[in-house]
Amino acid sequence: MEKVENAVAEERMNSLPRKPKRKRSKVERRENLTAFLFILLPVIGFLIFTGISICFTFVFSFQDYYVRRDESKFVGFKHYISLFQGMATPGMMGNTFIRSVGNTLFLMLSLPVSIMLGLCVAAILRLGDVKGSKIYQILYYLPAVSSAVALNIVWRYIFQSNGLLNRIFGAETPWLTDGTLVKLAIIIKNSLNAMGGAMILYLAGMLNVPKELYEASSLDGANKLRQFFSITLPMITPVTFYLLITGLIGALQSYADTEVFAKGYPGSETIVYFIWNERTDGAAGYGIASCTSILLAIAIMSVTLIQFKFSNKWVYEE
Amino acid sequence: MENEIKWNDSGFTPEGADGKNGKNSDQRSWSDIRKKTLTVIVKIFVYAIISFGAFLLVFPYVWMLLSSFKTGDEVALTFTFLPDKWVFTNYSELFKSENFPIFRALLNTVLIEVSVIIVGTFVSAMAAFSFAKLKLRFKTFWLLFLMSGMMVPYAALMLPQYRAFFALHMTNTLWPLILPGFFGNVSMIFFLVQYMRGIPNAYFEAAKIDGANNFTCFIRIMFPLIKTAIAAQVIFWFVGIWNDYFAPSLYLTDRKQMTLQVLLGLLNAGTSAKDLPMALAGAVLSSIPMLVIYISCQKYFIESLAISGVKG
Repeated sequence: MEKVENAVAEERMNSLPRKPKRKRSKVERRENLTAFLFILLPVIGFLIFTGISICFTFVFSFQDYYVRRDESKFVGFKHYISLFQGMATPGMMGNTFIRSVGNTLFLMLSLPVSIMLGLCVAAILRLGDVKGSKIYQILYYLPAVSSAVALNIVWRYIFQSNGLLNRIFGAETPWLTDGTLVKLAIIIKNSLNAMGGAMILYLAGMLNVPKELYEASSLDGANKLRQFFSITLPMITPVTFYLLITGLIGALQSYADTEVFAKGYPGSETIVYFIWNERTDGAAGYGIASCTSILLAIAIMSVTLIQFKFSNKWVYEE
Repeated sequence: MENEIKWNDSGFTPEGADGKNGKNSDQRSWSDIRKKTLTVIVKIFVYAIISFGAFLLVFPYVWMLLSSFKTGDEVALTFTFLPDKWVFTNYSELFKSENFPIFRALLNTVLIEVSVIIVGTFVSAMAAFSFAKLKLRFKTFWLLFLMSGMMVPYAALMLPQYRAFFALHMTNTLWPLILPGFFGNVSMIFFLVQYMRGIPNAYFEAAKIDGANNFTCFIRIMFPLIKTAIAAQVIFWFVGIWNDYFAPSLYLTDRKQMTLQVLLGLLNAGTSAKDLPMALAGAVLSSIPMLVIYISCQKYFIESLAISGVKG
């Protein structure tokens, strides 16, 4: 009897820690399931609208597509080759592709300009001890929350042949109908409109620079200007880096400037504009558009990966 | 330090300085005055530059507003700052115009906004709750999996998506713009995850002891706690959808189905210089809601932009 009782007690002792464990794993499994159900919709959305979509773009880039018959024919690397051949010997299609790539790159000039302008304004607001700095911040950031279409309509009105700019200077500069000038106009417009965002990020970055650095350097007799160039500027390089990368990604995808501001004028077409219009250009057009999409995606993904890789090194953290 | 300041103060009034150092203090006061005028000049210069910049950025809006009250001829043929004659026909014509059904466009935009934001926010917040508080296996993998979508440009996805929606007879309906939103928004999920991690687990443990399941925990406890964070994200999303042009312009070619921005683009493309004021009136109308939101919530905008940028 005693033995049996002991055995029962032993079994109980053994089973005590085990039983809840098994129970917990069941609970865990259930919680894991609910947790997964909670994220199910975003995962499905990602699979449909990103995963499968990009796979199809990839497949389309190897095909000719006959819209009327809704048929596709596998053509291998033909479209990729013709894109790159177009680079070597400018044909009809190659020309537009190269031109749109060139335009997109050229339009990126607004990036350094807007970053410089934003830095200057931020520096002035910070060093100059400006009263009402908040109001200036709101005003400078205003274009960033406005719709691209509305802004483009107004700026088009300002730049057009009988527009504000030409009236003020009494000139007849064909801002919108000259291949180079239209790009310049877009750069001017975008530089002004993007500087507010740069300014706010720089101001935030400047606040994050540890105060001790300034205190130490002012003991060494450095003045405000010197401090700005030898402390603030190096400490806010992460902001510059971030602005460059996000600006680059945005600029690679620009579309509204061409469509609304320049109304598709040849000197202004960008890569995305090329993709959307090339799509309907015969049986090969769809494939070529898909090719360009894939190349653009590769470019943007590599830029993003560079950002991920370097952001840890560049960002100053206390 | 203090002595120096006092001395400088007296330096402005040479009479106040004692006789012995009179000459000396006079010289110093001169350099002091020069220094002060220099700072004043610099100050003026600073305000001039910064106000000029602000003027450059605000001017297009003022110009847009003023020109929307001009007649077509005035805009096309002459150059005036203020309208010669204030006319409101641009607005009334826009409201009446059969070609540019602006109220329909407004309705379409609001339909997209409301459906996407209500469903999408709920789905995003639920996913964020799972990432932040529940025991999900391969949590990091799933988060990275979703976030990897952020680096794929829409341009690389639009061709198959367009074909799919076309095959489903959904082009020229609002579905291609609404459906993707139903599956949540990755940047919102990411933001909410970080916010939710800061909320103590004790709340949920206590509720679970009382017999609440995860869903009740989410609805009853987490949701009320993260209201402000959600509000900030919803504002961003709202503005983003309102201003979105690219995707809607691809799918919507029928005027009755267009969103405000697409109709505005069409208004711009279709008009000659004479009809420009009407396009400007449309631009003014579509900007007003955003301006109101921006000015009343500017703190959110500026702060969260700063957070997103500084943290990389």
